[in-house]
Amino acid sequence: MDFRPLAEAERRQLLTALRGNAERGVALLLNRRDTSFAGTSEELPEEQVITAIKSVPCHY
Amino acid sequence: MPLLIAAMGLLDTELGKRRLLSIELPAIEVYNEGRDPEYRISVVRCAGSLVLSYRLKPCHNVYQLETRLLSSYPIVPPETRILTPLKHCPHLLEGQTLCLWRQGSTRAANRWDASQFTCVFAVLAAWRWLACYELWHETGEWPLPEAK
Repeated sequence: MDFRPLAEAERRQLLTALRGNAERGVALLLNRRDTSFAGTSEELPEEQVITAIKSVPCHY
Repeated sequence: MPLLIAAMGLLDTELGKRRLLSIELPAIEVYNEGRDPEYRISVVRCAGSLVLSYRLKPCHNVYQLETRLLSSYPIVPPETRILTPLKHCPHLLEGQTLCLWRQGSTRAANRWDASQFTCVFAVLAAWRWLACYELWHETGEWPLPEAK
């Protein structure tokens, strides 16, 4: 596949979001239509529970 | 109810079918609501398993994935593999299967909880894995430490 890299600002934003998710349970929000990263949220409305990533207990 | 779950076979027992119809399939329907058709989860039966096929696009790249629910699901966690070719990286097993739940390890170390999670949870876990992969691809460093 032709890998399209992230821009520097995108990379920093995604890294901060992933670490916030792993360390503080910040929810990762996904674009409803195409699953692309749509930011983070400290609070997660009930209706978004199944379409956002709150706390994924994977081992990595 | 761990005893009930332990006796469950997803496709061949009454309990398994009930879980499928009342928990797993409704969760997939909610996930698919409002989603572009190419990013929806589709489900097919394959021998004694159910296979979820879907695409994820955490950033700019689109990945094709499948998550397999074996007949022993949900006791045995779902297996997710990425069909799109990847560079070899951490937390990736043979056949591009994602290392997510420490399969085969002790129950205490296994992070899959059949009483709390649905197959959609595995899809979201795969999304997060792919987001990590995108960062690793550029920096050579996996962005999240292994959980203790």
